Amino acid sequence: MSHWLEVFVQWAAKLGLNYSFVLDAYARDSLLQGALTTVWLCLFTLVGSLLAGVTLAAMLTSGKPWLARPARVFVEVTRNTPTLVQLYCAFLVLNMLLTQAVGTANPLTPFAWVVIVISLHKGAFHAEALRAGIEAVPAVTLEAASSLAFSSRQLLWNVQMPLAVRFALPSLVNNLIDLVKMTAVASAIAVGDITYASIMIWTQSDNVLELMILLLAFFGLLSFVVNCVGRFLEARLRMPGYGH
Amino acid sequence: MPYTRSPITRLLPLFVGTLAVLGASFAVQADATLEKIEQRHRLVVGVLLSGGPFGSIDPSNQKPKGLNVDMAEDLGRQLGAEVELVPVLPANRVQFLQQGKVDLLIANMEWTAERGQQLGFVPTPFYRVGGTAAVLKDSKITRWEDLKGQPVCTSQGSSYVKPLTEFGAELKAFKSSSESLLALRGNNCVAAVHDATLINPLVADSPEWQNYRAITPELNPAPSVIWTRPGETDTQAKLDTIVKGWHRTGWLIEAEKRHHITPASPALVELHDKFQASGA
Repeated sequence: MSHWLEVFVQWAAKLGLNYSFVLDAYARDSLLQGALTTVWLCLFTLVGSLLAGVTLAAMLTSGKPWLARPARVFVEVTRNTPTLVQLYCAFLVLNMLLTQAVGTANPLTPFAWVVIVISLHKGAFHAEALRAGIEAVPAVTLEAASSLAFSSRQLLWNVQMPLAVRFALPSLVNNLIDLVKMTAVASAIAVGDITYASIMIWTQSDNVLELMILLLAFFGLLSFVVNCVGRFLEARLRMPGYGH
Repeated sequence: MPYTRSPITRLLPLFVGTLAVLGASFAVQADATLEKIEQRHRLVVGVLLSGGPFGSIDPSNQKPKGLNVDMAEDLGRQLGAEVELVPVLPANRVQFLQQGKVDLLIANMEWTAERGQQLGFVPTPFYRVGGTAAVLKDSKITRWEDLKGQPVCTSQGSSYVKPLTEFGAELKAFKSSSESLLALRGNNCVAAVHDATLINPLVADSPEWQNYRAITPELNPAPSVIWTRPGETDTQAKLDTIVKGWHRTGWLIEAEKRHHITPASPALVELHDKFQASGA
């Protein structure tokens, strides 16, 4: 392992890049730990944002004003304000108020706040994408389903959602790729993701360029994985005569 | 006859562009900062405005104020240059200097051996400052060693990251000191470690901080210097005379009083006596 790293460092040095920090066990461990944290953040926010998105979309298209209106207000407020500001607001203000109320028993860690904020933020975008899909389901299909005595919940889960997801999939994947990149805001509140680990290394030594290349490659790779999964799902869920 | 460009003419803009860029990069090789000051009478200074007496934004007129700002203005006055202030953060100040966004840094950046190799600096320090930790009054922490294994807030790029890691503290570094201090008050860490000049006035005067105290002795006291790009020895020599003058005339001690920086730094008195005796 360390042999390969040395070969890599020497090879990079020929290109004029100083990657010697990967030989330092402390820096390497914090980078690897950071990469792992970023992957966890992505997984949690991915699931969280989809749950939030489905809930919001269901509320938006329910046709009941007492559900649809709060959801609409939430979506507008959330997608019209910057994620970083929301994160600061949640972590530095809400979290402090919560701590003052319950004392040290406050169970929410900075990591949890990032997951909550990004999930809700991206959930608002998912909800709009899903709404487009739900509203694209032909009225005749819904009438046919109603004639089989489907309740409105069954209608949503068994008829509208499966079709809506197929319509919305490209823009959902688009949102998820954005979500992967958005996890970098976690570094602002000292959650040890890969961006944070890199900042901590480059503020102590001079290798911004090398770490930037590493960061871009890592996020590029993660986004590419999401992209591939999205393409696979699109092909898998494809229904002949429907859309394609 | 329609005009058609020959291949050479088509590439002409590219050649001109390349030449212009090359020309610009050669021009930088001379001591660019001093040249800029003397030719164009302009000086761009990166200052840290993280709140506190060294640098903050005046709430009444939205203008920067503090000791950092006063020093930058006085440099401009003595060099006959117009000063442009650029607010910087600990996490980006080195990059701002390296990329030429600023010519000098007066940003509470202490001298360390690593930084001394990376950048240039004015040899005479303008201040000496160490770190201190703000902790809750009823906290059990009294010594630096007590921070072992405890969550400690600081800012990204702080010079205390290394010594704190050596104490075994579990560091949480925020974008700037204001977020770190808010995080301390949100109970996300047991202590916030920053320059003593930032923490001491807070716990001494601010009613919001009455439940907190500072711990002593100062961590890694180090000289605060003005930073330049590496190799700019002409600029450094010129600024060094000015900084020595600040010490000799007592200008810095006065400025310290004017900005209510407490406790008064013994280093300033030391340097004042030294330069007054030597008459430099």
